[in-house]
Amino acid sequence: MRWTSRVRFLFLAPAVVWVLLFTIFPLGYSLFIAFNKIEQTMQVERVKEPVLNEAGEPVLNSKGEPRTRNVVIRNSVTTTEFVGWSNFTRLFSDPQVREAIQVTSVFVFIAVPIELGLGFMIALLFNRPIMGRSALRAIMILPIFATPIAMGYSFFTIFYEEGGPLSFTGIPWLSDPGWALFSVAVVDIWQWTPFCFLVFLAALQGVPDELLEAARIDGASAVDILTKVLLPLLQPTIIIVLLLRIAEAVKLFDIPFALTGGGPGVATQSYSFLAFRTGLRFFDLGYASAMAYGLLAVVMVIVLFFFRRLRQNYG
Amino acid sequence: MGERGAAAQLRWAIFSIIAIAVTMAFLFPIYWSFSQSLRNPADTFTVAGFGIPWVNFDPTLENWLDQVGTPETTRALYNSTVISVSAAILALVLGTPAAYAIARFQFRTWKNQDITIWFLSQRILPPVATVIPFYLIMRSLNLLDTHLALILINATFILPFVVVILRQTFLELPVELEESALVDGANYWVAFWRVALPLAAPTMAATGLIIFAFSWNEFLFAVAISSQNVITIPVHIAGAVDTRGVQFWFMGVRAMVAVIPPVLIALIAQRYIVRGLTLGAVKG
Repeated sequence: MRWTSRVRFLFLAPAVVWVLLFTIFPLGYSLFIAFNKIEQTMQVERVKEPVLNEAGEPVLNSKGEPRTRNVVIRNSVTTTEFVGWSNFTRLFSDPQVREAIQVTSVFVFIAVPIELGLGFMIALLFNRPIMGRSALRAIMILPIFATPIAMGYSFFTIFYEEGGPLSFTGIPWLSDPGWALFSVAVVDIWQWTPFCFLVFLAALQGVPDELLEAARIDGASAVDILTKVLLPLLQPTIIIVLLLRIAEAVKLFDIPFALTGGGPGVATQSYSFLAFRTGLRFFDLGYASAMAYGLLAVVMVIVLFFFRRLRQNYG
Repeated sequence: MGERGAAAQLRWAIFSIIAIAVTMAFLFPIYWSFSQSLRNPADTFTVAGFGIPWVNFDPTLENWLDQVGTPETTRALYNSTVISVSAAILALVLGTPAAYAIARFQFRTWKNQDITIWFLSQRILPPVATVIPFYLIMRSLNLLDTHLALILINATFILPFVVVILRQTFLELPVELEESALVDGANYWVAFWRVALPLAAPTMAATGLIIFAFSWNEFLFAVAISSQNVITIPVHIAGAVDTRGVQFWFMGVRAMVAVIPPVLIALIAQRYIVRGLTLGAVKG
């Protein structure tokens, strides 16, 4: 039985207003920007300025005239021009965008299934009686919280091809385009497999022992128990983890920024990375906003796909 | 029975060894940075293998003393701490009453679960979609390169964690305590402030730590907003590479400085992490 009172709006209002101000309004603003071409130009002006002494009086030269010096004034001027849908149509013909989409999707298709699969296997392992389970579990959690940008650089030294700890493999971890994207995926897998593991372990520990015992007495094999008992029972959890991992993985930014700088070439330039560079390095803000909306649309489709499941979980 | 016991023990031993090996593999990258932070520059290049102090190289604290003492690093530590603490407190202040409202009250036009998902969708939103407008807004307000700008944006993106985690917490608290307070003449605010909040305090503290760690690790907005004054730890690390090339031994120190606080938090707040990271969608 839930309470009703007008007071409930007072409890809710601060957070709602905050989100409207700092998310909904910026998104609306960004949509406006996406229909414009915004250009920033530097205007350089040279002016002569009188030289003053410490008392603030003009200093005179030998001819008795006030001394002057040249001063350069830089003004950044922003011009906004309405261009309709052209930023959006440009998306479809831009080879850089196509490459970035490809990089991001290949990354998601490598990283997410491995994270879920490996996470599930490790969770099964840790669900057995093993030595020092809680201590090992605690260590397993650490990668999730390790600063991604710091670990990106840390992995840069691990993948270092001349003398790094993986150099004995002879694999061109960062210099070959295909391997570089794989290396980016490895860092993500390192960071997020523990998350999948942790959630699956929690779910596995919620499976009643009697159920497994009964299955064993009925003569079910380990494979049967996995596919006919555990996987169906854990399905809701698997779907939530899949949603969260896909939604996070398409945002890929920090790891290529640190590990490869998007290279070699554009082999690891993810979609977010491209949008960030277009907007905040090359200041093509209108186009970058349109790009961001493209990503937003994809994420919305993913979320809507899982929406029914989400509603059940937050019922 | 003895035979079976022996087989079980063997299995226990084998699975324990596999589990330890897997755990060590996942710990290795953090260990590797730590190991590098203790090396002389020469040792970072000449020592292949896995870098065990006193075996592969003679450890030194020189890099630590060199790096942690620099004004840039202390400044970045200060910035990251101020921003993350403020953002976490702000998000808790805004989000806790909202979580309470969703857990306890009935909303009709917008159903409670839809409000929850609305907050959750905040988290799933790609940050690159808001970084550009946020940058422009902060520029027109003259707030670029200020702590305030980063506190506001960090509070925004950790807010959904507070709402969704604490909503679940309030749902699990026995409602009778608050109801008897209401019967005794207390109003809703008193029931929330005096009864529910003290009971939720441990989860609030854990949530605060987790969202602190998220702000600490945030890079995209930090690099967009800061140019000089509000360099955070992640931006400090990224900046070092541009200017000097990667100096592995210093990078090791900086990586450790960045990683130690959130990793300690992960150890402290372990129990709450599943719920935190799945935004309460999975209990645990």
